Amino acid sequence: MPAGILDTSPAIGKPLARVDGKLKVTGAARYSAEFARPKLAYAVLIQSTIANGRVSKMDLAAAQAAAGVVGILTRENAPRFKPYPDDLTKIGAPGESRVPLQDDQVHWVGQHLGVIVAESFEEATHAASLPRVQYEDAPPILAMNEDRAGQNALQPEKLQVKRGDVDAALASVAARIDVTYTTPIENHNPMEVYSTTAEWEAADRVLIHESTRGIKQLQKIVANAFGLPLDNVRIVCPFVGGAFGSKGFQWSHTLLAAAAAQLVQRPVKLTFTRPQMFDSAGQRARTQQKFSMGASRDGKLIALRHATTTHASPVSGWVETCGTMSQKLYSCPNIDVTHRLLKLNLTSPCPMRGPGEAPGVFALECAIDEMAHKIDLDPLEFRLRNYAETDENENKPWSSKKLRECYKRGAEKFGWSKRNRKPRSMQAKNGDLIGYGMATAVYPAAQQPAGAIAILNKDGTVVVRSATHEIGTGTYTAMSQFAADALGLPLEKVRFELGDSQFPLAPNNGGSWLTASVAPAVMGACAELKKKVTELAGAWPNDAAALANLFERAAQNEITAEFKSEPNKEERAKFSFQSFGAIFVEAHVDSLGQARIKRVAAVYDVGRMVNPRLARSQMMGGITFGIGMALMEATLPDENMGRVLNANLAEYHVPVCADAPEFEIDFINEPDPHMSDLGARGVGEIGIVGVPAAVANAIFHATGKRVRDLPITLDKLI
Amino acid sequence: MNPFTYTRASDAAQAVSSVTAKPKTKFLGGGTNLIDLMKMGVETPAQLVDIGRLPLAQVEELTDGKGVRIGALARNSDVAAHPLIQQRYPVLSQAFLAGASPQLRNMATVGGNLMQRTRCYYFYDPAFPKCNKRNPGSGCGALEGYNRIHAILGQSEQCIATNPSDMNVALAALDAVVRVQGPKGEREIPIADFHRLPGSTPNVDTNLQADELIVAVDLPAIPFATRSHYLKVRDRASYAFAIVSVAAILEIGIDKKITSARVALGGVAHKPWRAQKAEKELIGKSADEKTFRAAAEAELAAAKGYKHNEFKIELAKRSIVRALSTVAALA
Repeated sequence: MPAGILDTSPAIGKPLARVDGKLKVTGAARYSAEFARPKLAYAVLIQSTIANGRVSKMDLAAAQAAAGVVGILTRENAPRFKPYPDDLTKIGAPGESRVPLQDDQVHWVGQHLGVIVAESFEEATHAASLPRVQYEDAPPILAMNEDRAGQNALQPEKLQVKRGDVDAALASVAARIDVTYTTPIENHNPMEVYSTTAEWEAADRVLIHESTRGIKQLQKIVANAFGLPLDNVRIVCPFVGGAFGSKGFQWSHTLLAAAAAQLVQRPVKLTFTRPQMFDSAGQRARTQQKFSMGASRDGKLIALRHATTTHASPVSGWVETCGTMSQKLYSCPNIDVTHRLLKLNLTSPCPMRGPGEAPGVFALECAIDEMAHKIDLDPLEFRLRNYAETDENENKPWSSKKLRECYKRGAEKFGWSKRNRKPRSMQAKNGDLIGYGMATAVYPAAQQPAGAIAILNKDGTVVVRSATHEIGTGTYTAMSQFAADALGLPLEKVRFELGDSQFPLAPNNGGSWLTASVAPAVMGACAELKKKVTELAGAWPNDAAALANLFERAAQNEITAEFKSEPNKEERAKFSFQSFGAIFVEAHVDSLGQARIKRVAAVYDVGRMVNPRLARSQMMGGITFGIGMALMEATLPDENMGRVLNANLAEYHVPVCADAPEFEIDFINEPDPHMSDLGARGVGEIGIVGVPAAVANAIFHATGKRVRDLPITLDKLI
Repeated sequence: MNPFTYTRASDAAQAVSSVTAKPKTKFLGGGTNLIDLMKMGVETPAQLVDIGRLPLAQVEELTDGKGVRIGALARNSDVAAHPLIQQRYPVLSQAFLAGASPQLRNMATVGGNLMQRTRCYYFYDPAFPKCNKRNPGSGCGALEGYNRIHAILGQSEQCIATNPSDMNVALAALDAVVRVQGPKGEREIPIADFHRLPGSTPNVDTNLQADELIVAVDLPAIPFATRSHYLKVRDRASYAFAIVSVAAILEIGIDKKITSARVALGGVAHKPWRAQKAEKELIGKSADEKTFRAAAEAELAAAKGYKHNEFKIELAKRSIVRALSTVAALA
């Protein structure tokens, strides 16, 4: 990449509208459930109604006799799937460590026991209600305090971090707090439910349309389970209708749909119902976070203990890593961060909207607010007095950190100086209590290997491809910007394609790393193409004659160039890469305990801005998620049966438009000098992180009530 | 969803007679609740009679100043926007607009809203074995389960479910009359007698007979209903069921004393709860917060909470005070 191109580029950094916007608003963008296939049959899941035990008998007679049924897949006739590969289960993906339908054990309510395939979705749905399943059920372990003599508790080694001596330090601090924060189970609930359409194109070759942001990973899982060569499995997904942490891990329904298609020798579509979104494909686990914090009289943090207990299912090891940011967000000599994982009979957990950071920073940033209040210091000033100049956990400098600027600019935009520090001191004209709260946002800036291919067509357009994903965040647009600028072409001349496992490698879309990972590959491929073409033609062909001349000389129908990018290991070893932000919130609480967020000011340091318009949209979404997490979101499993009570969007509350505040969002927009050529650290999950704490802190300021148990519903405030 | 037959009624009499011919029949209006319940396997009708094309969607003034008649098939959104309702019964218009979402209000009918079933989790999901409403004699899952949204007034040990409708609460305050047509002709059911308390038969929500069709709702003329308000307390700003709601109507004399009061509560009982004790406390008193609080205390004196809904008792009191204060402040 020629130096300086990014600073003078016509596309990168500009607030361009989405290149796929029109497709989406006109319904022309096709999502996974929308790929029609000839002779398509419909599959519906048979699910367990108990949370723990084994299936002793399945009576399928009525289902077999039901109208329209063309096949039933159960443990009896399921293929012998090969176990998931170790390198995937080790990192927690797929969501469950065991492949489906190979044993009779039941680990949670809603577990998949089979599928019914019928001519229509309605017939399959009805038939799926007919199997009579007999169980030998055992009492389910459902509560977070059910640590059955340590038998179902794990302490993952790498998640236990100690520095200094917390107990000794706490014994002599001027001020200390010892409090517990809890967060509930939450479900992602993207608008698009999971949908798989599986079609065997030959006895050993399968095509799968799946709502996934892990195309390459899913390809590997399916190939492995069926014992196929990788190239014989094709995964296609041009659009994902929202993910928010879901659709990254792979769940059993994809294998079940493929096996069902094999069974009935027809293409099969399996689409979840909304209730299945709550028991079939991951969720955020509950957390219980015990905090001890000690500070000196002059507001210096001395000791911090953050002990998290959370849970996974008996067949999952995914940990909600709440303590990772407590190790490094503030300067503190004595640190003790622990994680304990209980195995409960609840749906397997998976990443969701800032996994670990969202609930963990909620606790940390509330604790900071509590301590500031205790020592009677402005919470922003308290944060500044404990500003971490380096990553004390990894003992490395930050690659770049403009958090001070975020605090300053955010406070100015919000009017933080008008805050009366005393709780219950500010009131609206209608008598509602007003509270101002703030918190720090932080999220790691990761990068993954990626590849791209750039193709010059005879008509002068360039197509760039990578097996990445569009989950609503604007990948088509951002990557088109990179390609256009790297080629020196107008945006209309380039087309970016994604969502096909036949394209070059891209990582799972998650961890806020998509742009930082895929953009270098896209720009690299385009630069290579430009070089190749220029060498062949002397200059980039800008008219029909030059193009014809070029293709004649090349004797090809297209000219291609590929590029693979890798994270810079040396820089990664030297620096700690994090994005930062500062959130300021105004909450109003009425006499009935109803809390509403009126305005939010947020300033972020995420390195270079690729597209401020897309970035702002992402932050608005993330902040709104954060308000939802703070005030209303909770999945409610019945305490006795483990079955989800509110498995629908009427009663699992996410914010509606009327809950959205006025937003004031800004970015520092300075490139990170150590983050590839691009200097962009990625905009994504940082949007939710910190918001729940800022809301809780604002509610404390408004009411004097410290609610440490999310969500902060009106019964906790009345 | 179970297989069922579908027919379209050509007139009210034919709709009624189709039930006589096939007892496991349900009338289909907007379908916003019934279809949901069928998908969940809670309702399993053998036959659906679509009444959607019957001419019952009018909102019209009754002669001799007797009030307003709302056809059973009038859409919630249309009634909310109707000038007669907005001008004479603002509490009802507000109640409609506080309910559900615009999409649902565009589909949902007035008759269907009257027949809306409870949102009790243990009723709504047949995988829960205990529910006396769904399966008489099986027990009540909510009593020992999660009961944050459940009843605090008029409940029984058999059932602590609540009626989820907003419209019903306003209708209760307005002394509406439900007009129904059965095999023997039309009859009137005062709103207070339309919905039932659970007692030992929580499986029976209303006093409407299976072969009766709701054709209209009559609102009596209440000149002072122009001074009215619907307050809905909920977990988010829109599209959420009421935790508590209040329909309040006050007539205040020139001496600032209350001469008439109508108060009904939602979210607290198996039926829309007409707060007669509170009303009695209000009459003759001055319209101030002290009076309103005393009325609220009187109404909630008999309330009983459970593990997760104890807060509703205080919340209901404060909501009554808030709603009455809002009405008193109206011009």
